[in-house]
Amino acid sequence: MTQFSPWLASHVETIMLWTGAICTIALFSILYKENKVYRVFEHIFLGLGTGYMVSTNWNDIIYPKLWVPLWDKGEWWLVFVLFAGLFYYFIYSNKFNWLARLVIGFFLGVTSGRAFQEFVNDIWPQVATSFKPLIPHAAVAGPTAGKALVKELTTSGAINNLIFLVILLCVMTYFFFSFEQRHPVIKGASKWGRWLMMFTFGAIFGSTIMGRLALLIDRVDFLLNDFGPQVGGKGVMFALLMGAAVLIVYLVSKSKGQAPEYEA
Amino acid sequence: MNFLTFLQTVDRRFLYAMLLLAVCIPFFYTPEIRVPIQPSTQKMYDEINELKENDFVLFGVDWGAGTRGESRAQTEALMRHCMKKKLRIAIMAIGEPQAKQLTQTIALALQKEYGYEQGVNWVNFGYKADPENYLKAWVQNIPGSIGVDIRGVPVATMPVMKGITTARDIDFMLDITPTSSYESYIKFVQGSFNRKMGVAVTSVMGPEAFNRLDSNQIVGLIVGLQGAVEYEQLLGYKGAATRASISSSFAHLLIIGFIILGNVAMILERRQRARLSMGGTA
Repeated sequence: MTQFSPWLASHVETIMLWTGAICTIALFSILYKENKVYRVFEHIFLGLGTGYMVSTNWNDIIYPKLWVPLWDKGEWWLVFVLFAGLFYYFIYSNKFNWLARLVIGFFLGVTSGRAFQEFVNDIWPQVATSFKPLIPHAAVAGPTAGKALVKELTTSGAINNLIFLVILLCVMTYFFFSFEQRHPVIKGASKWGRWLMMFTFGAIFGSTIMGRLALLIDRVDFLLNDFGPQVGGKGVMFALLMGAAVLIVYLVSKSKGQAPEYEA
Repeated sequence: MNFLTFLQTVDRRFLYAMLLLAVCIPFFYTPEIRVPIQPSTQKMYDEINELKENDFVLFGVDWGAGTRGESRAQTEALMRHCMKKKLRIAIMAIGEPQAKQLTQTIALALQKEYGYEQGVNWVNFGYKADPENYLKAWVQNIPGSIGVDIRGVPVATMPVMKGITTARDIDFMLDITPTSSYESYIKFVQGSFNRKMGVAVTSVMGPEAFNRLDSNQIVGLIVGLQGAVEYEQLLGYKGAATRASISSSFAHLLIIGFIILGNVAMILERRQRARLSMGGTA
């Protein structure tokens, strides 16, 4: 596009910065209250995201992998791939949906076969490393110099392994539904299993807040450091942001006591 | 309304304004910080440091604009390390279409600094859909399954791809991701071809990813913005993560302060109400 317009070529950076800043502020406007500007930009983003995905799938996959070989290089046999892919759409036809079932069945078979490899590579190493030694011991030298056959296990390492084992057994007991958990040991272990999982979920929830804050900081970094020079520096941008925040707080305090607003 | 009730009913927009202030201040005053390095981050650094010049690193990138705050800093820090070590880099996205372009921007910005050239020292394979089925074919014939790079140039003829045919020729793999896309690499590349792999995840994915480190499926792990700060510290430079980490600390302190204040106010108000109901005075 910039090849056609020298003005656009020389201003593309400025346009990008202003667009980024307007989009950021429009999306953050939801923090004040539900509003039409936010809704417009939310839909623009959803549309952009979908459009980008469609264009990437065409440009990176369908065009170079199917279109060019089929039409430009004469690899006619790829037409079978095209038809196999199109068969999926027969799911919408009552008369011909058996054609869709053919390809779905084929890929179900492929996925089932792949599951063996997935289990061996993904789950099995985790199962194997669950068997941890519990008694401290010295390292055992192997045939290769400098490489231990069995690694040393210190007392603290053994305690760590014991904690791991207790947690593993407790959590596994919680998911044991084959019979009613009546025995006090089973019942206690199951209860602890639930608590231990809650600790993990708590850690994950705490991490979520960290992630969201990182996103906010990234946008503030953009507004102050990247976009700031466009309006006279990051100090000016900071003053504008804080001015907007103070104005919002003032408007909110003034509107207190009026009809309740819609909560986003 | 007394002060205790006010503390419990502070409007959320006032809290947002305070949060904005807390996040902005460190951009004007950056104190010198040293963070303790987690063993998982140190392992990642050591593994990349042990690679030899011209070794081939697959840079799996599967993050989008939604996690830019964490993943961009991780990508930049890891790419800097690889370029510093003069390693060959191949960028590939299997989980997020945006990642190819976002990482391309980072690589283009860094290539000038480290004297890298696209096609010679690094390549961007672009985005590949249906990761698991794709990787099954990819591991057997990398140039054949990739075809052309992000610019439409055939990768087979590029100097960066010299000696790279199958997954066995890869010296180290990385996946920077906010999802579990690294599992696809573990299932079809790391596990089958016994390749060393490091993972950089967002903080929310951290607790889950540590299992893989414990089972030696991955050799290094960077978790969230904090992990990126540690990596920047190991590399000896202050990047986006270091800048952001101080804002993050300020914001955390503020949130903790609000939680304590709100709870203390609630407890005191309950006591006050209990006293009143027993006939006492406020």
